[in-house]
Amino acid sequence: MPTTAKKGEILEIRIIVQHDMESGFRHTETGQRVPRDIIRDFLCVYNGVEVFRVELHPAMGANPLIIFSTVATESGTLEFKWSGDNGYASSTSSKLTVT
Amino acid sequence: MSLTRRVFVISAAAASVLPAVKAFATVDDATQAVGKILGNQKAKAGRVTLEIPPLVENGNLVTMKVAVESPMTQADYVRAIHIVAEGNPLPNVVSFYLSHRAGLAAITTRIRLGDSQRVRAIAQMSDGSFWQGDAATLVTLAACTEV
Amino acid sequence: MSVVVSVVTVSRAASPGAERQSSYALMSADTKAMQDDPLLNPATFAVLDGQALWQESAGKKNRSCATCHGDASTSMKGVAASFPKFNSAKGSLVNLEGQINDCRVTHQEAAPLAFESKPLLSLSTFVATQSKGMPITVERNAANATSLDAGQHLFNQRMGQLNLSCAQCHAERAGQKLAGNPIPQAHPTAYPIYRLEWQAVGSLQRRLRNCLTGVRAEPYALGSKELLELELFLAWRARGMLLETPGVRP
Repeated sequence: MPTTAKKGEILEIRIIVQHDMESGFRHTETGQRVPRDIIRDFLCVYNGVEVFRVELHPAMGANPLIIFSTVATESGTLEFKWSGDNGYASSTSSKLTVT
Repeated sequence: MSLTRRVFVISAAAASVLPAVKAFATVDDATQAVGKILGNQKAKAGRVTLEIPPLVENGNLVTMKVAVESPMTQADYVRAIHIVAEGNPLPNVVSFYLSHRAGLAAITTRIRLGDSQRVRAIAQMSDGSFWQGDAATLVTLAACTEV
Repeated sequence: MSVVVSVVTVSRAASPGAERQSSYALMSADTKAMQDDPLLNPATFAVLDGQALWQESAGKKNRSCATCHGDASTSMKGVAASFPKFNSAKGSLVNLEGQINDCRVTHQEAAPLAFESKPLLSLSTFVATQSKGMPITVERNAANATSLDAGQHLFNQRMGQLNLSCAQCHAERAGQKLAGNPIPQAHPTAYPIYRLEWQAVGSLQRRLRNCLTGVRAEPYALGSKELLELELFLAWRARGMLLETPGVRP
């Protein structure tokens, strides 16, 4: 995503996270089911306010990619949080200067 | 080796690769999932565009784009977009929750499609109304089963 | 009674020519876009992991790849494009993954990484991508001649219960369809690849083992002499073609 923007500009955010998104429908060579292990939620928080949320199901592809938009309202920090099965949690953030 | 024996061995090997569980949901499962989203309301056709390539080389990672016509103001915006697949083992694919802060109701992501099917997108507006769109696609598989 | 001597057929794609084509050309626009944009390319994570491993000290010598090789973008330029090689000191063929392991064992005094393991694939993807856009430089020489001939022989040899050779599909029928999918010429220009079918990054040897399973032949083991010979022949057959690593393939 861009690091600077004009107030009111619509920013496109492209984010991808490394995760196998094991659907729970695959089998090993010996026929055993590989248990489900996916990211279930994604959250984008802009200066403490939730601006975008996603509920992921096993049909989301591996290494989930999400391209979405948000309005540049004020300078600050955008946080991106992922959480899912087996206590998975990961986050990253990006600073934004709005003029 | 006779041709018939060779053919038999091929199909036996192929059969052992099929999973023992129900591979695909029916259109009814998808309808039920959509029903849960809509409650006792109906979704109107329109305003929602769902783009999926009409022919997919591999269903494991299919790029999907959904867009909803909306001014995205505080008074009138898209609250949620739900994607439901009619031919996957589970009908729900992903749900997006937005607000007027989004600016645009347009999202791109990558999904898994287990078979050729129709995929539906249901959008809920801030006024509580539902709109829907869909896309049909053909999903092909690799010619040789892989490990 | 006449004795039939096996005739080695020179495969039509053996000589570099304008009609050679990477399987990239056969993909849908969507998949091509996935390969071209590093943000969309699922193998980017392997490159990043490899970049981190490059800096990580390992083994009794507590050295990293960077200790000897410095900045990979300089030192590894063109390296992946020159493999497989015949290592005369070892008396055997070595591919890129094998070379990485040889370095680990000899210079880092660390245990070799398992074939197809995430760390090994990440390192080989990272190294191979330093040759992206460069031509494959594997040529016939005195050291690799025997192995190259063996690889060519394997390519042309009928195998498996389906009794098919690589050449029958990938040389004679390239461009035609098999079960609705176009048959590629099978040039290893993008390895390691993120194969959508695998939902993971994998090596050429993984792909070759699947080809063998496809013709219902017992697949050669990872790291085997036969797979290395095939890799050598395929690289030589693709000499002059540009490397695309990391590739995305359906």
